[in-house]
Amino acid sequence: MKPRTQRTIGFVAFAAFVVFIAVLPSFISDFKARDYSYVAIYLIALLGLNILTGYTGQISLGHGAFMAIGGYTTAILMAGNEQFGGPISGGMKDLWTLPIAGLVAGLVGLAFGFPALRLSGLYLALATFAIAVAMPSTVKRFEEFSGGGTGIQLFGTPELTGSIANVQVLGRSLTPNDWMYYLAWSIALVAFAVAWLILRGRTGRAFRAVRDSETAAVSSGVSLARYKTLAFGISAAYAGVAGGLFAIVSAFVNPDTFPVALSIFLLVGIVVGGLGGLSGLVFGAVFIAFLPLWAQGQDLGSLLPDRIVEETKKPGGPAIVYGVVLILLMFVLPNGVGGLFRRAGQLLSRRRYSPPK
Amino acid sequence: MRLRWTLVAAAVALAAAAPLALAGSTADPGVTSTTILLGGTSPLTGPAASYASVARGAKAYLDSVNAQGGVAKRKIEYRIVDDAYNPAQTVQAVRRLVEQDKVFAVFNTLGTEANLAIRDYLNQVKVPQLFAASGATTWGRDAAKYPWTIGFQPSYAAEGFVYGRYVAQNMKKAKIAVLFQNDDYGKDLLGSLKSGLGRSGSKIVAAEPYQVTSPDVGSQIAKLKASGANVLAIFATPTFAIQAYVFANRLGWRPKVIVNGVSGTSNIMVLASEGGKNRAVEGSITTTVLKDPTDPRWKNDASMKLYRSLLSKYAKGANPNDVYHVYGMAVAYETVGVLRRLGANPTRAALMKAARSLNDPKNPFLLPGVVVKTGAGDNFPVQQGQLQRWTKGRWVPFGGLWTSKRN
Repeated sequence: MKPRTQRTIGFVAFAAFVVFIAVLPSFISDFKARDYSYVAIYLIALLGLNILTGYTGQISLGHGAFMAIGGYTTAILMAGNEQFGGPISGGMKDLWTLPIAGLVAGLVGLAFGFPALRLSGLYLALATFAIAVAMPSTVKRFEEFSGGGTGIQLFGTPELTGSIANVQVLGRSLTPNDWMYYLAWSIALVAFAVAWLILRGRTGRAFRAVRDSETAAVSSGVSLARYKTLAFGISAAYAGVAGGLFAIVSAFVNPDTFPVALSIFLLVGIVVGGLGGLSGLVFGAVFIAFLPLWAQGQDLGSLLPDRIVEETKKPGGPAIVYGVVLILLMFVLPNGVGGLFRRAGQLLSRRRYSPPK
Repeated sequence: MRLRWTLVAAAVALAAAAPLALAGSTADPGVTSTTILLGGTSPLTGPAASYASVARGAKAYLDSVNAQGGVAKRKIEYRIVDDAYNPAQTVQAVRRLVEQDKVFAVFNTLGTEANLAIRDYLNQVKVPQLFAASGATTWGRDAAKYPWTIGFQPSYAAEGFVYGRYVAQNMKKAKIAVLFQNDDYGKDLLGSLKSGLGRSGSKIVAAEPYQVTSPDVGSQIAKLKASGANVLAIFATPTFAIQAYVFANRLGWRPKVIVNGVSGTSNIMVLASEGGKNRAVEGSITTTVLKDPTDPRWKNDASMKLYRSLLSKYAKGANPNDVYHVYGMAVAYETVGVLRRLGANPTRAALMKAARSLNDPKNPFLLPGVVVKTGAGDNFPVQQGQLQRWTKGRWVPFGGLWTSKRN
């Protein structure tokens, strides 16, 4: 199959997915739409993280922190922090805060990209992990700026579109949950298209070159400093937008909204979705959005034996289920869902890889 | 090229276009002809997982009521969801309970921060936030602004004040060091301890906060010891309270300890005493309003016998010495009383009205003499307590019941 045909198949698949997303709320309950808007949010964060980790080869265990920066940027621009004694009066409409959330997180990401140049592999993972660990305490420390541990409440503020009342969009009346769903998925799909455009051209090639061999990349004229910091910046901006959306959909942020575990879940998400691919990430996002619920025996409870559901209700139960599922998944799909897609694609196009003899 | 942009544009347009929105909600969901659905979050995992027993005890009691036919021929279903003591998870879980599971009321949700995080939402959608399991003063104080929210246990303001007054009256020129959880819960206790001290010669010489997400409080205890204080006030959640005792003992520090009620239960104290090796535990002061299952006074008490039998029947494997189970049963008992008063057609509004006009002197799981009372501007269901001292492996009460007039 020619690359051209392959790309057409890709477009058709994407268009089909967009149609699926557009009609999905008609088939699920109003509240489920809200759950699926979190899938869109995680998808945005995973797209960004995969640009950095999957394509450029730089491990980040700190992307939850970039989401926190985006989330707090959005929340403070909306609700202000004067009520805690801070300088910002807020009052910005929710949608307009998102580009700023992305920009602020992106700048922090760029700034972090510079010291990260000197670190690689495990050391970079640890350095990024440190920001994730420090973030909740840092937010609490600057109480007059962030509202401390109590967090910032956005529910019912005039800046939040659709707290309770339906939202009018293009002549249709959407319930608040459906509104959040379409908002999050519109942004996620745009983010997907943008990621695809970035990765398919010169920049994407440079990213992959850095990942595959830094020495080879430099000798071909690829600037390591430029592309590594760029990858950090883009990736953090994605996380920032995701964090901002998270704040809007949850209508609440506090330091524990973006815990250390979130950074790890995001990494789990791209591994489940498949490193170095985009379409599989949707499954990675579904995984991190829903597995904590499933692990509590919710939603899927009726499909499982009562004995197991009962275990998940006990203290510590959900964590064990989560771990077991993750281990099983890595056994069955070592290259993630994206790897499965690629394999299926290879089988379809009869271009099976045969190892050199 | 052109094809690509057309597709991208089409994708975005499609995503923004909206199919039919679902409509409709019925009045007062969660009640059927055979069931009443309550729901609440509880930390089944995470740093405060020991509080999971509160929900477990409540569920055991409600199940026992259901076994006898329920309330007005309806069984009370109590759905417990884990929030890992993380308010961000509480928000999502409670929205799920209200919008997906359609609970009649949100009940017995644990934690000050957790309850604060969901209060605006529940009051806007007019779903009762019944008997929030937190002693934050704001539940009772701000009832006019949040008519759908009510707490249960004595307020931390009352509790902290009682400790302050005790020190002021019994110790001359005490120097107090305070370990507190860095959130509204810890600060509520710290602030009221100060007001309880009043103008006495005793004062707080050091106060060290800790984050609930931090691994331990070793450095805080070292700093507090260095302040030269002779009284240590521990305003913490159970795991950290135990650590505070262990670290103080390891540093050879033997202050007089005040430990707040929700962390000063006898099962926690037994753990903190490290099998009798930790002498910092002896002589600790706390306050309680619950009957302690380990207290020999209640050995033949009918209600504590009931407690044990219900727990062994409906919460298999639960530790009967864990006082949080008693709290859960006390709050469930009161809830059943409230639901009975609603009659055959319970509504959410009637539920709140009943919860705001309580007068129950006979809750069997609370200390004798404690009256659960609300009404006429009083929105604090329980406002009494009993000071007690840890003596040779158990709590010994002293002084009579205190009643808080200030909240």
